[in-house]
Amino acid sequence: MIENLTPPATPDVLKQARVDFPILSRTVNGKPLIYLDNAASTQKPQSVIDAVSRYYSHENANIHRGVHLLSTEATAAYESARQKLARYLNASDESEIIFTRGATESINLVAHSFLEPIINAGEEILISHMEHHANIVPWQLLAKRTGARLRVAPIDDHGNLELDTCLSMIGPKTKLVGIVHVSNSIGTVNPIESIVTAARERGIATLIDCAQSIQHMPLDVQSMGCDFVVFSGHKMFAPTGIGGLYGRKSLLGKMRPYQGGGDMISRVSFDGTTFKEPPSRFEAGTPHIAGAIGLGFALDYIESIGRETIHNYESQLIEYAVGRLKNCQGVEIIGNPEHRSGAISFTMENAHPHDIGTILDTEGVAIRTGHHCCEPLMTRFGISATARASIAFYNNSDDIDVLVDSLTKVRTLFG
Amino acid sequence: MDANLQSLYRATLIEQSRNPENNYVLENANRQSELKNSLCGDIVTVYLSVIGDRIEKASFQAQCCSICKASASMMTTRISDSSQRDAALLAEQLIDFLNDPQSDTFSESDSLQSLSGVKAFASRIRCATLPWEALQQALVD
Repeated sequence: MIENLTPPATPDVLKQARVDFPILSRTVNGKPLIYLDNAASTQKPQSVIDAVSRYYSHENANIHRGVHLLSTEATAAYESARQKLARYLNASDESEIIFTRGATESINLVAHSFLEPIINAGEEILISHMEHHANIVPWQLLAKRTGARLRVAPIDDHGNLELDTCLSMIGPKTKLVGIVHVSNSIGTVNPIESIVTAARERGIATLIDCAQSIQHMPLDVQSMGCDFVVFSGHKMFAPTGIGGLYGRKSLLGKMRPYQGGGDMISRVSFDGTTFKEPPSRFEAGTPHIAGAIGLGFALDYIESIGRETIHNYESQLIEYAVGRLKNCQGVEIIGNPEHRSGAISFTMENAHPHDIGTILDTEGVAIRTGHHCCEPLMTRFGISATARASIAFYNNSDDIDVLVDSLTKVRTLFG
Repeated sequence: MDANLQSLYRATLIEQSRNPENNYVLENANRQSELKNSLCGDIVTVYLSVIGDRIEKASFQAQCCSICKASASMMTTRISDSSQRDAALLAEQLIDFLNDPQSDTFSESDSLQSLSGVKAFASRIRCATLPWEALQQALVD
């Protein structure tokens, strides 16, 4: 990918953005916070914090149940968040949006409700070598229950998916292809269009893990052509514990419930139960109402900046970060993908990633260290852990400069 | 440099992590235990050659950070040629000490005191205790 040593100019619309995130003005260990752990979780703008607070202060009630005003208002706010998500992803119908706890639960839902009833022993689920554990373990569990086989498309030494091999692995036995859009560890952007097209030509279902792309670039589920998209709210400036699943309407309608309980039924008797249509069928029990409302406000905030603006600016910022880190003595960047978004993983000669993380923390710089829930990927690169810096639109070139300057302290200690 | 950081990365500890003692597979080990910190992926394997109640020799192998490696190095030196009971007691005392925010002195004269810097970094305490927990597992097995 391109690397650049010229700091990108911050667009006017983003100059004020930092002020909208109150946590970014705090200090850590006496230093200004430099938050570069956005792939793990993003910070929240005041508008999202206020929306959650307002819900609990003024609207709190259960949804879909009461005739009183508060319940009506809460229901409207919750459903409004669903409409916002449907628009954001360009879903053809808002019933294609299901609220879950996050990308992990969304994948488990698809495994249980969509794939398990239709997959047979010997049939295949295809994933890639760079998946997060959330897009490995649910399929492994399913494979164990059904006798299905989990297959893994390889990646090359640069961290790019080996596309031709991946496409050749989509065959008559494949029942689902589940691929990460952007790698949370090494930032690779995968060519999902080619994969989805190849799968669709054979009538094979596709799931795209967009947990690391939905906050960084425009997404349009209709032009992507995939059947399922999963994502987490807390990685897109919304509260934790809320996320979602986009599912193609024609598939959702045929799927069995995920969990049983209130709000997902149309009629219950001891002789049997009938279920509501999607999305209610997949939202048993009282959901995370405040979280969904907060997610709606997070989408409003992203839209107020503009997803193209975010994408263009972040692309320049990540190129700058790659350029600076490549020129930083003793630093080795793990993976050199053709297209990168959001994250850079690196190691240093004599310092273990945890030691790097601790030293950076004393400089106020927050990064993530470890295997990033991608142990097979770490094994592929022959390492057990990396240090990872990951950006959001509120980061700037000064943050990257502080990161790189702080790494000199690591060198001083560890040589 | 930050005082806590200085305390964490004392020169003796960095030296131990660079040139750890007993960092190999013990050929005649009759006890071994592997322990992983699932939060970060670090792995330590402790090897013991035990005769009767006596730990004749201890060694380790690890994929881990400097704190963990230095801790494993000091541990294997300390418990070689000691009784299982003394080794178990030492492991228990050190793990308790590192996890006790009220206590700041393990033993002034003890080299293990150099691990006390982790107490200022809650997320790093387990780095220091991991080899000792692996030892406890090996002694029970």
